[in-house]
Amino acid sequence: MSSTAAKETVSCTVDGIAFEVPKGTRMIDAAARTGVDIPHYCYHPGLSAPAQCRMCLVEVEGAPKLQPACTAEVQDGNVILTASENALKAREGVLEFLLVNHPLDCPVCDQSGECKLQDYTAAEGRPMGRLAEPKRIIGVDDFGGDVLFHGDRCVMCTRCVRFMREVAQDERLAVVQRGDKAVIDTFFGEGLEGNIWADNVVDICPVGALVSKDFLHKARAWDLDRTPSICPNCTQGCNITLQVRDNQVMRLKPRPNAEVNGHWMCDFGRLNYQWVNRTGRIEAPLVREDGKLVPMSWSDTLLRLANAARGQSTGVRSVVSPYAANEDLGAVRRLADALGGGSGVFRVESGEEVVLPGFPQLALRSDRAANVRGAELLGFSRAGDSTGMGGLEEAESFDGVILVLGDDLEDASADFGQRSKLFIYVGHVLGGAARNADFVLPSTTFAEMEGSFTNVAGRVQRFWPAIQVPGMSRPAWQILGVLLSGIIDIPAPARPGDAFATLGDLSPAFGGMRFEELGAEGQPLEYSRR
Amino acid sequence: MARRRKDKEMAANVRLMKRPEREASYLRATLKGVALTFRHMVNPHKVTMQYPEEKWALSPRWRGTHVMEQHEDGRPKCVACGLCPAICPANCIRLVPGEDDQGNRYPVVYEIDEFRCIFCGMCQEVCPVEAIHVGQHYENSEYTRDNFVYDLDRLMSQKQPSTLLWDPSDPASE
Ligand code: SF4
Ligand code: SF4
Ligand code: SF4
Ligand code: SF4
Ligand code: FES
Repeated sequence: MSSTAAKETVSCTVDGIAFEVPKGTRMIDAAARTGVDIPHYCYHPGLSAPAQCRMCLVEVEGAPKLQPACTAEVQDGNVILTASENALKAREGVLEFLLVNHPLDCPVCDQSGECKLQDYTAAEGRPMGRLAEPKRIIGVDDFGGDVLFHGDRCVMCTRCVRFMREVAQDERLAVVQRGDKAVIDTFFGEGLEGNIWADNVVDICPVGALVSKDFLHKARAWDLDRTPSICPNCTQGCNITLQVRDNQVMRLKPRPNAEVNGHWMCDFGRLNYQWVNRTGRIEAPLVREDGKLVPMSWSDTLLRLANAARGQSTGVRSVVSPYAANEDLGAVRRLADALGGGSGVFRVESGEEVVLPGFPQLALRSDRAANVRGAELLGFSRAGDSTGMGGLEEAESFDGVILVLGDDLEDASADFGQRSKLFIYVGHVLGGAARNADFVLPSTTFAEMEGSFTNVAGRVQRFWPAIQVPGMSRPAWQILGVLLSGIIDIPAPARPGDAFATLGDLSPAFGGMRFEELGAEGQPLEYSRR
Repeated sequence: MARRRKDKEMAANVRLMKRPEREASYLRATLKGVALTFRHMVNPHKVTMQYPEEKWALSPRWRGTHVMEQHEDGRPKCVACGLCPAICPANCIRLVPGEDDQGNRYPVVYEIDEFRCIFCGMCQEVCPVEAIHVGQHYENSEYTRDNFVYDLDRLMSQKQPSTLLWDPSDPASE
């Protein structure tokens, strides 16, 4: 839609509902505004529309033939009938043809339950097939990377081919052969291997022809609980849904956000979720007593910790994780300020930046953690090398208060924190140098809490809790907020929005933003100063 | 006997029947019963079932504990489609799908808690590959509740015939 035409509007009627749409709107999008979902296969809002599947045929009063709603633009005065007798008959015919060679593998097909062929056949297809001839059999092909191809299930919509051509701009798939022998195939042996955007073809394939090897047979679509979230694996902050079964994250799927990731996400982020499911988490607060770490209730732990911390004025050295939420990082900052101030560092793994050519706002960013920007804005500085190691020297030998949030301290020396007056460890797992801590406070990951990340472009985006917290773990903003209220007499934040509201005092970039107004798609930092 | 008592001893409003001696006697009824007993001695008519040596024949539509059908090579017929756990109203089927060495989808874990099962037969009805069936069987006793959670091996080793949910010659029950 060109921006000059966007101002003009045309009026139309879809299934009896009259309304106006901008000139140049496709019928399928106009219908969507009245809540009518016109069946379609080849059309995808992120790709070109070849109008080749003929699944979206609708009747337009006065037009001699049925129109493909995916390319036909609404003309002034159009009366569109999406479910007239002719339209339904045409679509039933399309479905019957698609099922001619379809294996009806649904019981073993990974797409079952979220398959457009199932949905449309159940809604509009013939109750029984009429085909007596044997079906053509193609079989399974490994397309490389995470992608597996079941040729028999393909409906030849060519979305996958167009994605690789138009968006990934790395033509690796093509339609070969013609007629009923037509099949999607890769060029030579390399397949999709090595293209980090390849798994998006699994998302856009409307049927079970392209499936993910990682997710193969793992869960049914109807077993999954879906929670909106943000990909934690690079500073781009792709909008995603966390799909969970039995309290385990099973897969990540991109969630459309035109400002951040369009409809896409990269394979690096998509397949890097196992750490969220890791077991062996710290389940209770631990306090050092006679040289040993002893589990204790939250109230006892925080009372003791507040007593130990009150009056400390030698300053704080903190090591934070760039996977932590804005709210968590803000709480660390405030606590450090209350205990005499001091510097803080974060360590982040980095690698090559990979841009998605057809949607260049989106790239796998070189910093491989979601909240690097938030950490920088809240006054933490980068330390260590590109593997996320090193940079602990200053904290290691510090003799005041050491506060670690979320960093596993894998490479820290065995006597990390031994010289400190007070070593507080807030994190997920107890290993290595974390065992030297005087207080170990179990905190939640992004998947277990509500909070926000700030992405590389300065967009603040919310995520929601998808899985249950292990044991007594709590979000770090809550733990540290209660602790702070015990040290200096201020109210503790009750909700993540309260913790977020205090960020404006720490960094003017957050000033005036309200957590509740971030919505599901986030807001840029500048928004408050519009 | 009641009618010899003084009326004033009775609670208010109790009406006493005045019946002739001949009708009030137990003798007739007793003789009738004894006659029946003698008739059965001469012409025995047995109703007691010598359970467990003998058992009732069950209706082909009787729904009891489950049977998992298997292929000739002993693999379960279940393809782990996930429909029976989804439809089960008692939520008593646990399924973890996976891939076997021939690349087929199969149930890594398939368990039915027969204690929670309400024997509705919907799992049998929904199964696209006719793998899980309720069976013609009624003897369920175990020493522990845990034993009522039947795993795949147990479901495959059940010997009872599968239930016919409908008459094949009259599927719509007309
Ligand atoms: S692609 Fe859809 S219709 Fe075909 S087997 Fe898979 S779930 Fe069934
Ligand atoms: S593999 Fe899927 S996306 Fe590609 S043409 Fe076939 S149905 Fe469409
Ligand atoms: S018979 Fe009914 S209650 Fe029992 S396992 Fe099957 S579906 Fe569930
Ligand atoms: S419905 Fe049948 S094939 Fe599907 S999981 Fe249950 S037993 Fe297995
Ligand atoms: S969606 Fe319109 S022709 Fe395919």
